[in-house]
Amino acid sequence: MNEWERIEYKPIPVRTLLVEMKNLSELMLDLAYSAALFNSKELAEDVLELERRVDTLAYLLKMNTMIAARNAKDAEDLLGVSIVARSANKISSAAADIAHIVLRDIGIHPIVREAFEKVEENLGRIEVSPNSALVDKTLEDLELAARIGVDIIAIHRGKDWVINPRKHELILKGDVMMVRGTLGGVRELRNLAEGASRQLQR
Amino acid sequence: MSEEHFRKIVESLVTLKDTSELMLDLAYSSLLLNSRELAQEVHELENYMDNLHTEFELLVLSSGFSPGESKDFLGLIRLGVVTEQIADAAAEIAETVLRELEPHPVLKIAIAEAEETVTSARVSEHSPLNGRTMKEARIADETGMWILAIKRGKKCIRPKPETKIEAGDVLIASGYAEGEDDLRKLASGSEEPEEYIPLF
Repeated sequence: MNEWERIEYKPIPVRTLLVEMKNLSELMLDLAYSAALFNSKELAEDVLELERRVDTLAYLLKMNTMIAARNAKDAEDLLGVSIVARSANKISSAAADIAHIVLRDIGIHPIVREAFEKVEENLGRIEVSPNSALVDKTLEDLELAARIGVDIIAIHRGKDWVINPRKHELILKGDVMMVRGTLGGVRELRNLAEGASRQLQR
Repeated sequence: MSEEHFRKIVESLVTLKDTSELMLDLAYSSLLLNSRELAQEVHELENYMDNLHTEFELLVLSSGFSPGESKDFLGLIRLGVVTEQIADAAAEIAETVLRELEPHPVLKIAIAEAEETVTSARVSEHSPLNGRTMKEARIADETGMWILAIKRGKKCIRPKPETKIEAGDVLIASGYAEGEDDLRKLASGSEEPEEYIPLF
């Protein structure tokens, strides 16, 4: 593993870097909490992998903002950008800290599980049964976020993980989905995945 | 550990996690809308969070655990620290708004382009939301958007289940970009989504 790769300057728009950092940091937090909740070392490893990616992005963003600033006014204008990027990086480090709890067997007290059932946004681990209506549908077909407020944050497929699946990703039988959303939405998706219902209510 | 003590720690951890995430959403909203009111709200939540976190740690440390259980309890303490770090990150974002740094256009674009976004919608008189409580309105179930705060005149209200929504309220919400239109339609009470209102 080349953990300490040298990071070379690449001209990438600051906007692109910032969007990716923000998205990744939020995804990582969900993944890390899921890893803790479901005691999954594989998910925790993925979180650490993503953290290295965010670190690289942070270096690139810093270099690109430095180059973009040509005078005091530019520097003032870009200060907010670098602070927000730093915050995203902090969040990704916090997610990595959760991953370390899981990887070092520090222990997940039963209180954690109890608490996660009560938080506003619920995490769920849902297995897709062979007779589910979800099988062979793409995420785009299902529009889960718009219809029931549920997001699939990762799919565990055999030995592989699809992290942050994109809209063309197919759901296959036997997939284990890590999801996040409203309590009602997660329940509805679970019913669909288990084959207890055939279609979404809206 | 008594059942009551266990329940107290659960409650405390739930509040820490929810508050830290609310702060982050509000912090991004304050940037997007360049709103000092929202940023101020984040700042105040940070003080609240500090107290919560101390209470949480004291509760955990006073549960009378055995040496064999100490690893589990260490995990709890660490989770608490994580929520605190998230709250700090949120506070730093909000601070840029309070310091009147003009948000760089890149920031607004980055927040609006992200998978999860923050948005706002004004409740019209004809909206089915008008006069309903948050609990009755079931906005998250209907639209997939979470209501973070309600702006009523100069005031900024944090919604509770029994909070009544009134015409003229501006709902500040976060969620997946796909839910935005649904929220606006619901707020306007017609098929035409309410126009995006720059608030401040």
